[in-house]
Amino acid sequence: MGPDRAPRRPFPLRTRGAVLLVLLGAAVWAFLYLDMSFAQLVPNEGGLEIAQGFFSSAVAPSSEVLGTAVRSLEATVIYAAAAMSVSLLLGLLLGFLASTAWWSGDPVGGRTLFGRTVAPVLYGVTRFVIGFMRSVHEVLWAMLFLAAFGITPISAVIAIAIPYGGTLAKIFSEMIDESDRGPARALRAAGASGLQVYFFGLVPRALPDMLAYAFYRFECALRSSAVLGFFGVATIGRDIELAFLTNRYGEVWTYIYVLMAVIVVFDVWSGHLRKRFVA
Amino acid sequence: MIAPGQASGFRLDGVSVRFGTTAALSDVNLHIEAGEAVALVGPSGAGKSTLLRLLNGTVRPTSGRVYVDGDALASLSRAGLKRTRAAIGFVHQDLSLVPNLRVVQNVMAGRLGRQGFLSSARSMLLPRQAEARRAYELLERVGIPEKLYARTDTLSGGQQQRVAVARALYQQPVALLADEPVSSVDPARARDTVELLTRISREEGLTLVMSIHNLELARECFPRLVGLRAGRLVFDESAGEVGEDEFHALYDLQEAEMLADGA
Repeated sequence: MGPDRAPRRPFPLRTRGAVLLVLLGAAVWAFLYLDMSFAQLVPNEGGLEIAQGFFSSAVAPSSEVLGTAVRSLEATVIYAAAAMSVSLLLGLLLGFLASTAWWSGDPVGGRTLFGRTVAPVLYGVTRFVIGFMRSVHEVLWAMLFLAAFGITPISAVIAIAIPYGGTLAKIFSEMIDESDRGPARALRAAGASGLQVYFFGLVPRALPDMLAYAFYRFECALRSSAVLGFFGVATIGRDIELAFLTNRYGEVWTYIYVLMAVIVVFDVWSGHLRKRFVA
Repeated sequence: MIAPGQASGFRLDGVSVRFGTTAALSDVNLHIEAGEAVALVGPSGAGKSTLLRLLNGTVRPTSGRVYVDGDALASLSRAGLKRTRAAIGFVHQDLSLVPNLRVVQNVMAGRLGRQGFLSSARSMLLPRQAEARRAYELLERVGIPEKLYARTDTLSGGQQQRVAVARALYQQPVALLADEPVSSVDPARARDTVELLTRISREEGLTLVMSIHNLELARECFPRLVGLRAGRLVFDESAGEVGEDEFHALYDLQEAEMLADGA
């Protein structure tokens, strides 16, 4: 094959260079637009005092509030667990409806009316719904629900569960759709139904990743549950806010440390579980 | 009507298959009797896989007719086609097992096509003793009974292949189709696998159709060889009759043809 007939590189280096330049330009423009300067990071006198007080307390957390901290932490974990339970149910159900692999494959004897019309419509509607659920942050959902129903446990749980359920549904459906379709095709060829293909050919393959992701979201739920404390929900965030407003930085650090401890514990736990499922 | 415990025959009447503008098979006529063992031979891209997939109804002919057990596949109802598919075991080239399930679950997945959703969920999660015993017996037949509860991806390639065979047998099939089952294992194992499939099909009285590009092995293990090249049936003879000429007819590719195949 002569050099004149050599295939052209589909994405030439010059184009890549141009794309990189555009991205760099966008970053510079963003800095200029926001009028950012490092001088803004130099605190004023009062601010410096607060910062000094806050960070020097990092090595001197208050042991007096340890009991309160543990009790609040318990509430934080329980809120997160309740929210994750609802989110998981939503995520599994909507994730099923938002995945295509179980109906877009090669059904027995061609697509049925269900596969041609109902399933794609259901898929589109579900994608829209989970997009909506995710597009509003849990803090905004919380503001809405707390205003509407008052500061009740159920409104806090639902505020977290809506965006989390949407996110889980999106990620679960993508993990399932991207897992190897070989087994699914084989089961189809042997007469299995879409539902059987989904649960026995596709989900098992994606399950370790789904589990790991659910654990990660639980970690996020712990943080969200803590943050809702700033809105008056009885989680550790409420204690942090109170201690911070009354300049008791030592107590703030106690709360932060116990929160960190529980997140590390969950991280180690999920690591072990993942190893067991993947290895 | 296809029924378990009774071998089924296949017939292709003037079958052509086109994928877009490429002709995968052109005007193929083939009759396979119930209980026969047939090897499909030919270079890659000859249409062997397409032919196999016609036989279990996962590929439809562009023209011509496919009969399984006397029934034209095109005239079967959805339920009928599902029944037919459930009765045909297929050993895929890439095995298509779920790697992180246990061997017993992969074997039991063979019968999904005959079960409703709830009963299949029960079988997969809480297999009855009789079901586990049946899976164990099949694994015994393919030579890896000790792997019943092993995770499938801890098995070697050759062992996983046996799991795929056991899954196909768990279907209680009337016919076994195997697509290049030996392409991914070493020559010694290849012979073992081919012999295993021919022996089991003989013992169970199953029709066996296997695509295989090792002509030597095909000639030794199968009474009947069907040669395909570029989508056309080149020969259909008993193993003894297949000689050097046929071999050359299959594999002596012109250089131009190889480039055209993208080989």
